[in-house]
Amino acid sequence: MARRAPWSQRLLPYLYVGPALTVACLFSFVSMAISLWVSFHDYDAFAGASRFVGFDNYHRALYSADSYFWLAMRHTGVYVVLSVCGTLLTSLPLALLCLRAKVGQALFRTLYFLPSITPGVVLALVFYHIFGNYGQLLDRSWTALPALALLGVWAGAGYNMVIFLAGLTEIPQILYDAAVVDGANRWQQFRHITMPMLRNTLVFVTVMTIIGSFQVFTSVYIMTSGGPERSTEVIAYSIFVNAFAVAGQMGYASALAWLLFGVIFVFVFLQMRVFRSRRIYDE
Amino acid sequence: MPRLKLVAGLLLALILVTGVLARAGLTRRWVEDLGLQKTQREELRVWDWWSASTNEEYGDYFAALETAFEARNPDVDVIFQVVPFGNYVQKLSTAMVGDTPPDVFQSSVYWAEGFHQQGMLRSLNDLLEADPALPGTPAYVGESAFLPSAWRHNHTEDGTIFGIPQIIDASCLLWNLDILQAAAADDDEIRAMFQRDAAGAIDWTRIHWDAVHDWEHFRRLTRKLTVRDENDDVTQAGFLLSASSGAGLFSPWLAANGGRFQDAAGTQALFASARGIETVEFIARLYWVDRVCPPFRRQMTDAEMFKERRAAVVAAGTWSGKDITRDTMGWTHFGKTAFPRGPSGDGPSTVTWGNMLVITQRCDNVDAAWRYVKFVGGLEGSLLRGQYLGYNGPRFDFYATERWQQALRERPYLSNVKQICLAGDKLRHTEIIAVDHQANPIVESVLLHYPEILEGRGPYPSVAAAMRTAADNVDNVYRRYNEQVDNWLALRAAGTD
Repeated sequence: MARRAPWSQRLLPYLYVGPALTVACLFSFVSMAISLWVSFHDYDAFAGASRFVGFDNYHRALYSADSYFWLAMRHTGVYVVLSVCGTLLTSLPLALLCLRAKVGQALFRTLYFLPSITPGVVLALVFYHIFGNYGQLLDRSWTALPALALLGVWAGAGYNMVIFLAGLTEIPQILYDAAVVDGANRWQQFRHITMPMLRNTLVFVTVMTIIGSFQVFTSVYIMTSGGPERSTEVIAYSIFVNAFAVAGQMGYASALAWLLFGVIFVFVFLQMRVFRSRRIYDE
Repeated sequence: MPRLKLVAGLLLALILVTGVLARAGLTRRWVEDLGLQKTQREELRVWDWWSASTNEEYGDYFAALETAFEARNPDVDVIFQVVPFGNYVQKLSTAMVGDTPPDVFQSSVYWAEGFHQQGMLRSLNDLLEADPALPGTPAYVGESAFLPSAWRHNHTEDGTIFGIPQIIDASCLLWNLDILQAAAADDDEIRAMFQRDAAGAIDWTRIHWDAVHDWEHFRRLTRKLTVRDENDDVTQAGFLLSASSGAGLFSPWLAANGGRFQDAAGTQALFASARGIETVEFIARLYWVDRVCPPFRRQMTDAEMFKERRAAVVAAGTWSGKDITRDTMGWTHFGKTAFPRGPSGDGPSTVTWGNMLVITQRCDNVDAAWRYVKFVGGLEGSLLRGQYLGYNGPRFDFYATERWQQALRERPYLSNVKQICLAGDKLRHTEIIAVDHQANPIVESVLLHYPEILEGRGPYPSVAAAMRTAADNVDNVYRRYNEQVDNWLALRAAGTD
């Protein structure tokens, strides 16, 4: 029978995990619980008082004539689709190209990664002027949202490229060698080896992009404030406006936030189910 | 050895957690209870959004203000804290909830009424009544000391005063005098806009505050001042419009047409009236029919275009002169007028506002706070702002000082601001940000799609229908807000019981 480790050694891992767990609990889980509670109340943060209103805030968001929830969700949905497609169509080719680079791979990786570590506010301000001077994309209702999505794709491409690159380097070279022997061309190799073997990475990138895109805020706040003509009013911006620009609407804003949570949860859940239903090659 | 490591680890964790909590202010009360923070001087925390990081002159002003105030009040240590304008409401609400509010802060009219209704602000009536300063003296900060337009946003209809005006501002039309002077060479109508000196010679540095008689006159002038290239593109705007400005652009024109944005009690939007529709159509026609403006662009602000000499006239604030002078190193010469009378208006007008100093409800040191408010709101404070920031003052006696006369000589663009401020109506004041969020996109749609609306294929069947929709939405904001105010009052009443 193995001797149990002394209590000090058993305690040590918890000590390491403790601070991060405390911070996560305090600033994520506790905040989420409070926000859920607030969403069922007419809550006044300053007075610290509240009145239970049941599902009134949710009902207002979903059915009230002057609610912008559905409009914001529609815009958010368009943004998510554009972002996910854009990200996959840029990050993966970039990663493939980078993998093939004989020299300077680290340099390319660094260059492409730079936007990811640049503050979103800075990127938004830079692109605000770029879009203003070239094409005036933010001035038209039908181009403003795609322009914001373009910024999102550009900003996230480097990060996702690094993830894909990591996934690509994990694929055994022997599979490609065997495919070459069998006479497979580049496209066939990509389709029958690279894509299936990258599925876990693909799921991860897609899920993270969807979650991030649903929460897009900074670029909207800085570049368009929801305009022109409310064409870029996304759900996170709507939550912000109601929470902080309209007095006493914290409960309503919290309800919007939980509706957003619900939508993201359903999306991610469905996606995970769909991908899990197929056999993953490296399992 | 492992035990030593564990103890050291625990100690380190404890120090880190304590440090975080102390830095976050969560241990403030414990420390105060221990009596470790007692100082000889009372600390007075003052919040403002004027920041030296955006304009170094603010730094000079606050330094001079602190020196002058503390010299007279050696028992008070003023601590200025800059809070960005865009985060003011959140920061203040958080500070109030977290029991770390400032003692005094500058409140924009955007939030003042709401802060008062939420119970954040201390009523100043008792302090004013007990104040020994007599009306007519430089230290007096009662109503009679201020321009009427400065004393509009700082009190309720029942007479509760919650702020002392610090500035007076108004929307105005900003005219590029260099462009005007060039155009005046062969145009009597434009030449007549300029003032004349005692000898009857034209003073090219000053225009009359009511130089534009009515909307038709304005239309004529701006058409003349519009310059187009060979492709018929506007290279110099006669009047620069921004569709996204929404209510901000619309309100002063509405005031000049005898209309009001909202009722005094903040219960009803009034801008969908015949005067309001007339106003929006006038603005839309300037853009679509008279074509005095290049295509709407969000990225280039009116001020930027004006500073680049690509616009003869823009709508701006009376405060904007110092920024233009600084940014163009004094090379741009400009003058200010009120908005001309509309077909249903009584005369030149605009909208005005007076941001104010307020004392928070949870201020512990009311005496020091009131001394500070009085100093800043008194004549000396006004003169300091005039000296360091180039601001005109909200007080009557300010305009009689030699320093103001000197400022007028040095900065001729200031010459009309008093008349403009006196002519104006009160800026919309109830839940402005929420109201703008409802109204602006609709006004923007009308301006962007005006021809389509007229042809019956726009986003709204008519301008009137669009304005009615906007007003209905704004009414909803007011209704919800007033319900909220009733809740706050009920809560406070319950607390008092």
